[in-house]
Amino acid sequence: MALTQKQRILDVMAGKQVDKIPFGARIDVWYNYHAAHDSLPAKYKGWSQTDIIEDQGAGAQKRFFSVCREEYVDMEVVKRQEPPYEVTEFITPIGTCSIKLIWSVNEGPWLAYEHEKLFKSEKDYPVVNYILNHTIPFYNEAYTKERQDMGERGIVMTGTGLWGPNQRVMREIMGYELFYNEYMDRPEKVQELMETMMNLEKKKLDICISSDLEVINLCANWSDDIHTPVFREYFTPYFREANEKIHAAGKFSMAHADGEMRRLIPLFGETMIDVAEAITPVPQTKVTMEEFRTMGDHVILWGGIPSIMFDPSFSKEEFDDYIKTMIKIVKPGTRFIAGMADNIPIAADINRVGRVVELLDKYGKLPIK
Amino acid sequence: MADVKDLVQKVVVGDWKDIARLTQETLDSGIKPEDIIHQLQGGMEVVGEKYSSGEYFLPDMMKAARCMNIALEVLKKAMGGEAIQSLGKVLFGTVKSDMHDIGKNIVVGFLKGVGFEVIDLGTDVSDDKFAEAVILYEPQIVGLSALLTTTMHEIGIVVKKLEEKGLRSRVKIMAGGAPVTEDFTRRMGADAYAADGGAAVKICKQLINS
Repeated sequence: MALTQKQRILDVMAGKQVDKIPFGARIDVWYNYHAAHDSLPAKYKGWSQTDIIEDQGAGAQKRFFSVCREEYVDMEVVKRQEPPYEVTEFITPIGTCSIKLIWSVNEGPWLAYEHEKLFKSEKDYPVVNYILNHTIPFYNEAYTKERQDMGERGIVMTGTGLWGPNQRVMREIMGYELFYNEYMDRPEKVQELMETMMNLEKKKLDICISSDLEVINLCANWSDDIHTPVFREYFTPYFREANEKIHAAGKFSMAHADGEMRRLIPLFGETMIDVAEAITPVPQTKVTMEEFRTMGDHVILWGGIPSIMFDPSFSKEEFDDYIKTMIKIVKPGTRFIAGMADNIPIAADINRVGRVVELLDKYGKLPIK
Repeated sequence: MADVKDLVQKVVVGDWKDIARLTQETLDSGIKPEDIIHQLQGGMEVVGEKYSSGEYFLPDMMKAARCMNIALEVLKKAMGGEAIQSLGKVLFGTVKSDMHDIGKNIVVGFLKGVGFEVIDLGTDVSDDKFAEAVILYEPQIVGLSALLTTTMHEIGIVVKKLEEKGLRSRVKIMAGGAPVTEDFTRRMGADAYAADGGAAVKICKQLINS
């Protein structure tokens, strides 16, 4: 019996040899933009993104924020709209902190930007620690529906959330610049906050592990100039601990690694993370596919097709040549899942998704000789 | 006696804790504030080169920028309110519908550090806002940052808007951001591509002198 798209991807992660290079396609940036602007191609008006990917013949990957949702106890949480922003105030017995979000149609309704972060200055340490200590994670029932909708057509890409615990402090709670300034001035307070976050995120990881999720996203959007200086100290130990649990449960772990990765590549292998997803090679970054392979044979590479290759400014011949070359480079191709790096642009020719399928059918039979 | 070279070296390695004292001692040794600033700007260029080459990371750059700001505070006082001579005026922003600011802030930090006057318009800046700001601030360079494949085309929209408003010939346009390549920048009608903050410094100097 033929493998389903999902099984083909999972088999590769499990180290099994499958019939051809799997393709886990991601189109949500393109889809969300065109669905919001009523500009989907006529054939696809009213379709879901997974239906479109299925129609193109590819396996799907669909982003879903988290298998966990958070509830807050012993504080009042007040949301109000200040268009285009949504302000949330956390009123605790020891003080109040607020966050101002803006939702982006470009990246889909699942992702908001912190226009104003929760942590703004030194005085916020006690309150933010309090909020995190009084946040209770639960299983997010909405994930069940996503999984059912996806079925065997691909993978719902999700986990504890977008970021790893310390990256969440860096990126979501403080922002990188304030984080590094605080790290210079008050390292012990930053450390305490990261430990508080770690306690919360470990509970969320347990929820993920006890769910039916096969692949758990542990982190996203690394950039080597930002993360390398602290990676070994603040990222690797958590990933190793998390992966011991994940692997003991027979599951896989993943990191969304779509940034400039050259200086993080040597560190990736130490994390025990199974899948480096959305790996983005030249011409969109400075890193070649061959360099990504040096992460180690135990790492499954998922990605490899820079988003700009889907832009019509690259000719069909250039696109075909890129895919054929990529297939040759990943030879024997057994530890590789083709995918977007990390999406397709709004100007993309959606039929190039189908073209990847055609080329993989023709040239991507495994093992590639 | 304090040596300006020691001060510059402290900036390059990002050792901020002694910068105020060292700057004052360098002033007290008789070196003119303008000369110290010039030397420090050279130090920030070294930081930019180290960042571009991969030797330095974001926190290294931030430490150096912090040193520079502390030194400038001391030097401004010594100059009695006299303005520091600028290398040129740069208008900078992240394009419409794009909320990302780290890359923009890195470039802005470098440009300020080496002596450019920078007007930072923030994120999600429309083509109209860029055009209005060109009229208001009269910059020599407009810097455009885009992190998303969905927003990188906004670079071309800003270029067209400046053309429509008759402002294009007044400014040079530099663009960059994670998905943006040199080839793409040119096709959008910009004058130059900057891969990172260190490169942006060199590009802006070239654009000012061209």
